[in-house]
Amino acid sequence: MSRIQLQGLTRRFGAVTAVDDIGLDVADGEFLVLLGPSGCGKSTLLRMIAGLLPPSEGRLWLDDTEITHLPPQRRDVAMVFQSYALYPHLSVARNIGFPLRTRKRPRAEIKAKVAEVAATLGLTDLLDRKPRELSGGQRQRVALGRALVRDPGAFLMDEPLSNLDAKLRAGTRAEIAGLHRRLRATTVYVTHDQVEAMTMATRIALLNEGRLEQLGTPSEVYDAPASVFAATFLGSPAMNVVDTTVRAVDGTLVAEAEGLRLSLGIDADIPDRPVRLGVRPEHLTLTSAGGQGIRAVVTAVENLGSEEVAHCDTGVSVRGPRPLGVVPGEAVTLSARPEHLHLFDHDSGRRLAWQAASVPQPV
Amino acid sequence: MVSGAFVEVAPPVRSREARAAGMPDTVPASPALWQRVRRIAPPYLYLLPAVVLLVVWTYQPLAQTFVLSTYSWNLVPSTPMVDVGLGNYERLLSTPELGRSVWRTVVVILGILPFTVGIPVAVALLTRRVRGRAQGVYRALVFAPMLVAPVAGAAVWQWLLDPSAGAVNRVLGTDVNWLNTAGTAQLSIIVITGWHVVGFAVLVVTAGLAGINPDYAAAAQVDGASRSQVTRWITLPLLSPTLAFLVLMTVLLSAQWTFPLIDTLTQGGPVGSTTNLYYLLWEYGFRSHDAGLAAAAGVLFFLGFIVVAALLTRLAERLSHHDD
Ligand SMILES: Nc1ncnc2c1ncn2[C@@H]1O[C@H](COP(=O)(O)OP(=O)(O)OP(=O)(O)O)[C@@H](O)[C@H]1O
Ligand SMILES: [Mg+2]
Repeated sequence: MSRIQLQGLTRRFGAVTAVDDIGLDVADGEFLVLLGPSGCGKSTLLRMIAGLLPPSEGRLWLDDTEITHLPPQRRDVAMVFQSYALYPHLSVARNIGFPLRTRKRPRAEIKAKVAEVAATLGLTDLLDRKPRELSGGQRQRVALGRALVRDPGAFLMDEPLSNLDAKLRAGTRAEIAGLHRRLRATTVYVTHDQVEAMTMATRIALLNEGRLEQLGTPSEVYDAPASVFAATFLGSPAMNVVDTTVRAVDGTLVAEAEGLRLSLGIDADIPDRPVRLGVRPEHLTLTSAGGQGIRAVVTAVENLGSEEVAHCDTGVSVRGPRPLGVVPGEAVTLSARPEHLHLFDHDSGRRLAWQAASVPQPV
Repeated sequence: MVSGAFVEVAPPVRSREARAAGMPDTVPASPALWQRVRRIAPPYLYLLPAVVLLVVWTYQPLAQTFVLSTYSWNLVPSTPMVDVGLGNYERLLSTPELGRSVWRTVVVILGILPFTVGIPVAVALLTRRVRGRAQGVYRALVFAPMLVAPVAGAAVWQWLLDPSAGAVNRVLGTDVNWLNTAGTAQLSIIVITGWHVVGFAVLVVTAGLAGINPDYAAAAQVDGASRSQVTRWITLPLLSPTLAFLVLMTVLLSAQWTFPLIDTLTQGGPVGSTTNLYYLLWEYGFRSHDAGLAAAAGVLFFLGFIVVAALLTRLAERLSHHDD
């Protein structure tokens, strides 16, 4: 198992920069999830790590060897494709054994290894079938088996669950996570599904238009999003983001806008500053109308089973245990605790952190 | 104290029970006959024009050929047709020419196969990475011979193969009378036909290669396969349906492709060395004016090729992999 390092990796297609100056250090045994919206360059980045696409700029290392110019055959990585790319003319057994066949291993060894991998993945009864005779979930496991059969330095997976239905996806997600816990294999996993990212990752690399937006553990990315993009990409429904002005009132800072006044819980005195205020729907609570907070009118209530989401006219939504006890048309006031408020720069959208000025020393 | 009992919640009403319970029936009663006809007829009506054309231009002449093969007739409308039963077939099977022409046809097919399968695969694989404008130019170059009318091509080749002043002899430094020597005449016919069809075959193979999902080759590379292993283990097997199609075309059509060249360059000679099945059939009908014998030969070839085609299609089906 190996460590993967990327340095300034860039890939351009004509005028489009699909991957823009990405630097990453994936530690040995880590499960790094590349997360981002469609077209943000996840697959391009993964294909560069696999060696299927030469980078326009930048370098990459596997352990201590530089592999920037090494062809895919000589990089010690295994890849699971989004389409699975199971060889349609070969049986399941030959598909799984293919990486060993290319390495000219003896036939008996291939057979034993294939049987072992098939047993772990529950494919033993399917070994003689052709890929077209398998269900989506079975194909996915064969693709995984083909990657597992030779202990590679790292696993690369490109949205391996996107073709599965919701239930199978949950099951396979747990299977892959379990496999990773057992094998401790360095894995780079591409997805645009935030649930997959949150549940499986040891770290998330959030990409936006080819650039690295944030890198951190799932809780870091969720609890302290580095930008408005990160804040609104993770979470369902997305974080509420409102344009407000921070000003000092009676020695403490509050965020203010029309029909909105929330205390930031910071005792300080600064000049007014326009910011974007973010607060997650589950951190808003309904209080009796008239108090301090966000004043809004409920427009719709969604039933999620265990929870309910109330959407308001200002674009703000609230999420809480069912029943929330509001009906469309009702005027409500929403409040949130200061530690649940996120501030972002009005122009750049980057996260703002409060830093108390050092107390002036008496001379 | 309040007394009570648990009552099972009724499941949603199913339509079968609903009908039994006398609810309005949503399924219409069985339609009248003409309604049923109207529902079934459209596909057949759509097919009708094609079927009519096929019957008029293919099946009717075929049936007439069968009928003609049992008569003796010299193609002159004023002479009567004499019914000879299977006489034509007996005559045909007893001529030594038939066996020889079958063998020559086999030679032609085997000789043209490299031009329709071997060379195109090699060329298409080697030039896969040609991109952009160069690709268009290159394809046009390869395809051009196909656009030359066979008879015009033949005239030029006759000139090139001329024993005294021809360019071929000059380039090879030889002194061969290519078209008038028994051994080289057949070779010349094969090579010229191959030159005609090779561009088409390259295009077919290129299209076949383009139809293979590039993920397979990418996956194989990541799995450690070298370039030649990818070709042998992934690309060629996935290309096999295309190759089977080309083999089938070659087997069924080679002898026809050679016809215009034979007729222009050698007229079946020298000493019959380029007379294959089609040319023999044509000679019977339009040289010897023996319509019955030609028709009988046509019927035999027809049956023979049906068997060959059936075997080859069965093989092609076995080879094709559903790529999904
Ligand atoms: N071969 C190519 N030629 C030109 N542009 C390309 C090529 N491959 C990718 N791109 C562009 O690069 C960008 C990133 O593509 P990429 O496939 O990496 O996206 P992705 O993040 O994997 O998206 P998805 O989640 O939809 O798979 C896109 O804008 C795409 O149009
Ligand atoms: Mg992708």
